[in-house]
Amino acid sequence: MIRLSKTPLAFKNLTHNVRRLAVAVAGIGFAVVLMFMQMGFRNALFYSTVKIVTDIDADILLINRAQYALPARQSFDFKRIMQARSCPGVAAVYPMYTETVGTEWKPASGGKPYSIRVIAFDPDDPVFLIPEVRAQTSVLRQPDTALIDSRSKKQYGIPETLKLLREQTGAELANRAIHLAGTFPLGTDFANDGNLMMGSANLAKYFPMRALGADPLSTVDLGIVKVEKGTDVSAVQRNLNHRFEGTELSVYLKSELIDKEIGFWDHSTPIGYIFSVGTIMGFVVGVIICYQIIYSDIADHMPEFATLKAMGYRNRFFIGLVLQMSFYLSIVGYIPGLLVSWAVYLALAQGTGLLLEMKLAHAALVFVLTLGMCTASGCMAMRKILNADPAELF
Amino acid sequence: MPEAPLLTSIRKASPDDSSTGDTAIRVDKLNHYYGEGELRKQVLFENNLEVARGEIVIMTGPSGSGKTTLLTLIGALRTVQEGGLEVMGNQLRGAALAKLVRVRRKLGFIFQAHNLFQSLTAFQNVRMAAELFGFPAERTSRRITELLTLLGLGHRIHYKPDSLSGGQKQRVAIARALVHQPPIILADEPTAALDEKSGRDVVTLFQRFTREDRCTIIMVTHDNRILDVADRIVNMVDGRIKSNVLVKVTAEICEFLRHVPLFQRLTPGSITEVADKVKSEKHKAGAAIVTQGDEGDKFYLIRRGAVDVTRTEGTQSAPLNSLGEGAFFGEAALLTGEPRNATVIAREDTEVYTLNKEDFQAVVAASASFEEELRKALFQRH
Ligand SMILES: Nc1ncnc2c1ncn2[C@@H]1O[C@H](COP(=O)(O)OP(=O)(O)O)[C@@H](O)[C@H]1O
Ligand SMILES: [Mg+2]
Repeated sequence: MIRLSKTPLAFKNLTHNVRRLAVAVAGIGFAVVLMFMQMGFRNALFYSTVKIVTDIDADILLINRAQYALPARQSFDFKRIMQARSCPGVAAVYPMYTETVGTEWKPASGGKPYSIRVIAFDPDDPVFLIPEVRAQTSVLRQPDTALIDSRSKKQYGIPETLKLLREQTGAELANRAIHLAGTFPLGTDFANDGNLMMGSANLAKYFPMRALGADPLSTVDLGIVKVEKGTDVSAVQRNLNHRFEGTELSVYLKSELIDKEIGFWDHSTPIGYIFSVGTIMGFVVGVIICYQIIYSDIADHMPEFATLKAMGYRNRFFIGLVLQMSFYLSIVGYIPGLLVSWAVYLALAQGTGLLLEMKLAHAALVFVLTLGMCTASGCMAMRKILNADPAELF
Repeated sequence: MPEAPLLTSIRKASPDDSSTGDTAIRVDKLNHYYGEGELRKQVLFENNLEVARGEIVIMTGPSGSGKTTLLTLIGALRTVQEGGLEVMGNQLRGAALAKLVRVRRKLGFIFQAHNLFQSLTAFQNVRMAAELFGFPAERTSRRITELLTLLGLGHRIHYKPDSLSGGQKQRVAIARALVHQPPIILADEPTAALDEKSGRDVVTLFQRFTREDRCTIIMVTHDNRILDVADRIVNMVDGRIKSNVLVKVTAEICEFLRHVPLFQRLTPGSITEVADKVKSEKHKAGAAIVTQGDEGDKFYLIRRGAVDVTRTEGTQSAPLNSLGEGAFFGEAALLTGEPRNATVIAREDTEVYTLNKEDFQAVVAASASFEEELRKALFQRH
C-alpha cells in the first residue's frame, strides 16, 4: 500500500510568489557573484604570478634563498648549475635567465616604451611545457629574434595576426632593433605586463651589462632540474639540499615553489587579506539578503504555520521546512550566480589576460559558502516560525 | 434503513479512541488567567462540562465571555493552569508539549480565518492535514475529492485560494478539518462566512459525521439558523458556563409535559422553563420512591411505569392509590410543609421527572393557572 507522500511546501511557497523569487535569485545570485569575483581575482593573481613556474618542465627548482618572491629577482652563479649537475640522481640542470632591468620595449607601431620581462634559456634545453615555445626553439636560435607573449597587455602593440607580426619592422628592445618571429601564451601578473622570450645568446647580446665585468650568462635566475627516470624526486632533493647546504641556494620541488610563492602573496601581503574580506563581505551581504527573504516569507505565512501547529505538526517539521527553504534558495541563487560569474570570468580573461578560471574546487567552495549563508539566515529566522502560536488563531 | 457511508474512511478505529468510553471531553473546575503579576486577570471561573462522544455542542455567549479561551484549552493549544481537562481520555493538565501535540492530532480545527496556503491548491491544502498520519495515498485522495465535492467544491478541487471566493475558501478549511476523521471538531464561527445554503450543508455534514464516526463537535456560533443541530447548548457569561442544556432531552421533556393535564394550560415558555429544570430518575420495581414521614423535598411526575401509593396509620398499612404515566405525586408535602403523608413504591421499572422544592415553588408562584390546576387535581384526588 502506498502511503501518503509529503507536499513539497517549502518549494511551493518559495516559487509561488514569482516577484519575491526573482528578488531572492537576484539577491543571492549577487552575493554568489561577489564571492566568485573575490575568489576569482585572488586566485587569478596568485596563478598568474606562478604561471611561469607552472609552465616550466621541472622536477626540482633552484633559486637564490634571498628571492622571497619571484619579482624580487636574486640571481646566483652559473657554477651552481655545474655543481647540481654532478649530484647523484640528477639527469639534467638547465639555467634560466630573466631580465627586468633596462628592458624598455618599443612596439613597432611606435609610442611610449614600456618595460617588459625578458625570459631566456638555451634553445637546446627543453625548459618550458608550453607547446608554442617547444615548437619554435629553432626560431630562438636566430640572432636578434624573440617571441612575444600574446597575452601581454595592449600597450605592447602586438599585431592581430602572426603574418603582420613577422612583417612588422621598427620594434626595439633596450634601444636595439628586434625581430618578432612568433608568440607564446603566458600572461601577466602583479609585476609584469608583458613577456618576451629569447635564446640565451640573444640575451647576452641585448644585456651585456647583466653581470658587471663578467659573462652576462654567468648569473642565473633559476636552475631547472630534471631527475633521472625512475629516481625518487625527494631523494634527489635531499641530495641537492645536502650539496648546497650553507650556500645561497634553496632547493624546491616544483609544487613547493608554487605553494611558497602563493603563500607569500597570500600571507605576506595584504592581497590575500583584502580578497578574504571581500569574500566575507559577499557572504555577509548574502546572509542579510537571504535572512530578509526567509523572514518575510515566514512572517507572511504565520497564521498558516500556526494552523499546521494546531493540526499537530511538530517543531521538527518547521525546522526542516526552513532548512529546505534555505537549501532551495541557495540552489536558485547559486546556479545563476555561477553562470554569470563564469561569463564574467571569460570576458575578463579575454579582456585583461588575467587567469580567471572556473575551477571545480572553487565552484564547490562557493556553493558550500552559499549553502552556509542561506542556512545561517534560515537559523536566524527559525525563532520566528517556532514562535507561531496556534492559540492566537481563533 | 442505515444510510450508506458518506465518505471513504481512512482511519481504522484506534484502540486508544475506543478505550475512552463515552466521554469525549471532561472539563473539571477549570480556571484560566491571562497576564502576569499585577495584570493577571481571571477569564474562566470554575467551569465544569462533560461532552459525550457524538454530541454536537453549540457554545454561545457575549463577546469576551471566554468561549475562545475554553475552546483553545480543549484544543490543547494552551496550557491548562488550574483544574482538570480531559480530551479523549488524555488529561491535559500538566501535559508536556509532545502530549499536547499528540492530542491536537485527534482534533479538527476550524478557525474564523481560513488560513490556507496560497501556494497550494484546495486539494493540497486539505492533504496537508492528512499527511501527518501515513494514511494510504489512494483512499486519502478519494476522500479529499469526496469531501470537497460534498462541500460544493467539486469543480474547484485543483484551484488555488486566489481563485476561490471567501465562502469557498472557508469550505476548503472545513474539509481540511474533517479529512483525517478527527474524533473531535472544534470550530469558531464556522458558518459566518457562508451563505444560508452552504452553512446548512456544512452543519448537515457535521451531523452525518457525528452519526457515522461518533465525531464530537464543539462550535462557537451566533448563527440562530443552525441552533437546531445542537444536542447541547452551552451559554457562557463572564467566564462562567451559565447554562448547559441538553436540547434533545429538554425537547422531549417539553413534548411530554405538554400532554400532561397539569401542565396543559402553561405557556410554551413556562413549559420550557420547567423542562430545563426537571431531572430524570430511574427506579427499579419494588423500590420506595417516597417514604411516609420523610421531609418533602421533590415533586414527581411519572414519565413511564407505574407506582403504588400506601399510607400507614398505626400498624395498619393500606393501599391508597395506583398511579401511571403522566400522573404526579409528592406535591402535598411541598405545598403544606408537612412530612410525607404516604409511601410511594415503584410497581414496575419506573422513570420519573423530578423538580426540587425551590423550582417547584417558583413554577407555582409564576403561574396562577398552574396552582389552580394543581389544587383542582388535589381536590379530586381526595
Ligand atoms: N491572549 C490574551 N491575552 C490577554 N487577555 C485575553 C487574551 N485572549 C483573550 N483575552 C481576554 O479574555 C477574555 C475572554 O476572551 P475570549 O476567550 O476571546 O472570549 P470570547 O471568545 O467569548 O469572545 C476577554 O476579556 C479577553 O479580553
Ligand atoms: Mg472569540
